[in-house]
Amino acid sequence: MDSDYEIVDAYDGDSAEDYFSGGDTDMDEGDSIGGFEEDEDDGDNAGYEYGYASDEGSEKTYTVLRESDIRQRQEESISHVSSVLSISRVAASVLLCHYKWNVSQLHDEWFADEERVRRSVGLLSKSVILFPNDSEMTCGICFDSYPRDQIHSAACGHPYCTTCWKGYITTAINDGPGCLLLRCPDPACCAAVGQDMILKLASDEDREKYSRYFVRSYIVDKKKTKWCPAPDCENAVEFELGSNVYDVTCLCSHPFCWNCTEEAHRPVDCSTVAKWILKNSAESENMNWILANSKPCPKCKRPIEKNQGCMHMSCTPPCKFEFCWLCLGAWSDHGERTGGFYACNRYEAGKQEGLYDEAEKRREMAKNSLERYTHYYERWASNQTSRQKSIADLHQMQTVHLEKLSDKLKEPESQLKFIIEAWQQIIECRRVLKWTYAYGYYLPEHETAKKQLFEYSQGEAEAALERLHQCAEKELLVFLDDGVFDINVTPDFGTFRPKLAQLTRVTCSYFENLVRALENGLSEVDSQAASSTSVKNGGAKGKGGKGKGSSRTGRAVARNIDDSDRWNCDRCTYANPDSSSLCQMCHHQR
Amino acid sequence: MANSNLPRRIIKETQRLLSEPAPGISASPSEENMRYFNVMVLGPSQSPYEGGVFKLELFLPEEYPMAPPKVRFLTKIYHPNIDKLGRICLDILKDKWSPALQIRTVLLSIQALLSAPNPDDPLSENVAKHWKSNEVEAVETAKEWTRLYATGA
Ligand SMILES: [Zn+2]
Ligand SMILES: [Zn+2]
Ligand SMILES: [Zn+2]
Ligand SMILES: [Zn+2]
Ligand SMILES: [Zn+2]
Ligand SMILES: [Zn+2]
Ligand SMILES: [Zn+2]
Repeated sequence: MDSDYEIVDAYDGDSAEDYFSGGDTDMDEGDSIGGFEEDEDDGDNAGYEYGYASDEGSEKTYTVLRESDIRQRQEESISHVSSVLSISRVAASVLLCHYKWNVSQLHDEWFADEERVRRSVGLLSKSVILFPNDSEMTCGICFDSYPRDQIHSAACGHPYCTTCWKGYITTAINDGPGCLLLRCPDPACCAAVGQDMILKLASDEDREKYSRYFVRSYIVDKKKTKWCPAPDCENAVEFELGSNVYDVTCLCSHPFCWNCTEEAHRPVDCSTVAKWILKNSAESENMNWILANSKPCPKCKRPIEKNQGCMHMSCTPPCKFEFCWLCLGAWSDHGERTGGFYACNRYEAGKQEGLYDEAEKRREMAKNSLERYTHYYERWASNQTSRQKSIADLHQMQTVHLEKLSDKLKEPESQLKFIIEAWQQIIECRRVLKWTYAYGYYLPEHETAKKQLFEYSQGEAEAALERLHQCAEKELLVFLDDGVFDINVTPDFGTFRPKLAQLTRVTCSYFENLVRALENGLSEVDSQAASSTSVKNGGAKGKGGKGKGSSRTGRAVARNIDDSDRWNCDRCTYANPDSSSLCQMCHHQR
Repeated sequence: MANSNLPRRIIKETQRLLSEPAPGISASPSEENMRYFNVMVLGPSQSPYEGGVFKLELFLPEEYPMAPPKVRFLTKIYHPNIDKLGRICLDILKDKWSPALQIRTVLLSIQALLSAPNPDDPLSENVAKHWKSNEVEAVETAKEWTRLYATGA
């Protein structure tokens, strides 16, 4: 599969292959998707979770560097410097550590004034001290005498015994990365202590630490390269400067923005993210209560705890009221069965007032601005929490359930990949959805048409995601139950499989559209005057989108804001136009 | 007990400190603990500390000489790089320490610090401020403290 990022050739394939799965699914069969025109090279797009990240075509924007890749580059620089300056490899690495691996600066300064460079880094041309011919020498640290073969020194010749060198080196290494620039113990001497000597005399554990510092020194102060911000991750990402898509995904699977190193936040730009994060910390006192994991049931008022990822809540018996965690409305108003219009992503001023008994506190809060912010913040935070939960669920699925399920169904795990793909899709969509709430908060109120398009696209995407999440989280539970045996399970699983796969596909498609629309600054409304009649007729073709993406963008816009002339597919829930009798997503008969 | 395993280096340094003391400096190990030294430093001439005898304590930690000795003034002193508790701000006692330095070099450096106070790298904010805003007056205070605390003891 191709994508706009590339993982360094040397990687072994397993983990990343699993994570970035999806490119080979039938989503990419192009023309199979109903009456909508597809680009002929649609199959080039990345898999589900990154499908919408591919509008730059196959252009490579970054490279993940694993430790071994960095070491290889260091080796190359050392060899290069050593041959150009005609110095030893040890001396070359001393120089490179001092020059922060900036080979060209090193060359310039060296050829301008070699003596000065040598002095400043401690590469002496000749010894300061000449070894006397005595058979014994006195160590300058412990003051004991030793035979010559137990005395060592840097290029300067100051003599210290093996034990004292070891102590000196271990102290330096444990003091931190300064050990890379280690000098002779003599306080008046600046001779560099070479890597050869350090590696020879250090303990295994210290050698390990030293070499870690050595690798890390390569990335410090590099403009093009940054460390993956995930805790415990040792990879770095080298970015092609000039590219405008900053989202990168490390091999450790942490997606982050290369530009601001916050968690990946496409389709929202870095400055919006920074503003939003600042806003959140300023409001954190007010917002803490929102993060509380329990809310009263809107019907019976008993507190209900949210311990699942999707927003569909059910009160405990006898009440059993099903409601939406976000808007506290009845879930029946959200479902595809009623054809209900998903609207809990929308903010309408005053809407909350007096509506929720739960919201005593909200009413007390200063209205308008804070209430408006609260709306977006709560949704942002809920999606964040939900994403964390989903990551844990995916992990659980991969490490525990999948194997059991495969035993039970007598199917190889590879046949169950669609479950993993569904969870990966959920995780990625929660991330995108979360950031669209920051986007929504900063979308100017007076841009009515844009706001309408935004809320529509976001609502569609969110509704699809809720269906997918619920299916993956709750409907799958039945099959994971240990009490259930294969005979009972297999037939149901036969319908579950395509349903989940289709939901994954549909959700991916909605999110692609959402991301495109936001990245284009919702420019469709400009060219279409936001009139629902012109939107209805699919006039968006070729607008706004960058290159290949345009027809997909068009698809989102072509969907009408008025859903009355649509039917919802029984199998995948996609809202199809009345004119087609086959579901455009899954080809299921109406 | 603490003295039984004393490294040769410490024994040699001690012997040399006793047999050829540096001018204006005396250091002798305590009888109970050979790693603990009672130190006297004479205030350098032409400094506000001239005529004073300053008592210090010096302790060689287990890691010595890989780690620096711990040194502290016991006599009250008015100096921008020495605080109320007698702690000293001196680079070789911290990151610039090298195992090739010795007790003798440390004490000589402390003596030199008395000759050349450095209010730009202060340990005692107030004294340093005083030194920078009105050096003449600060030097007077230092002299007075020397008279009060560092003489005739
Ligand atoms: Zn030695
Ligand atoms: Zn040396
Ligand atoms: Zn990483
Ligand atoms: Zn960013
Ligand atoms: Zn209830
Ligand atoms: Zn809702
Ligand atoms: Zn369908």
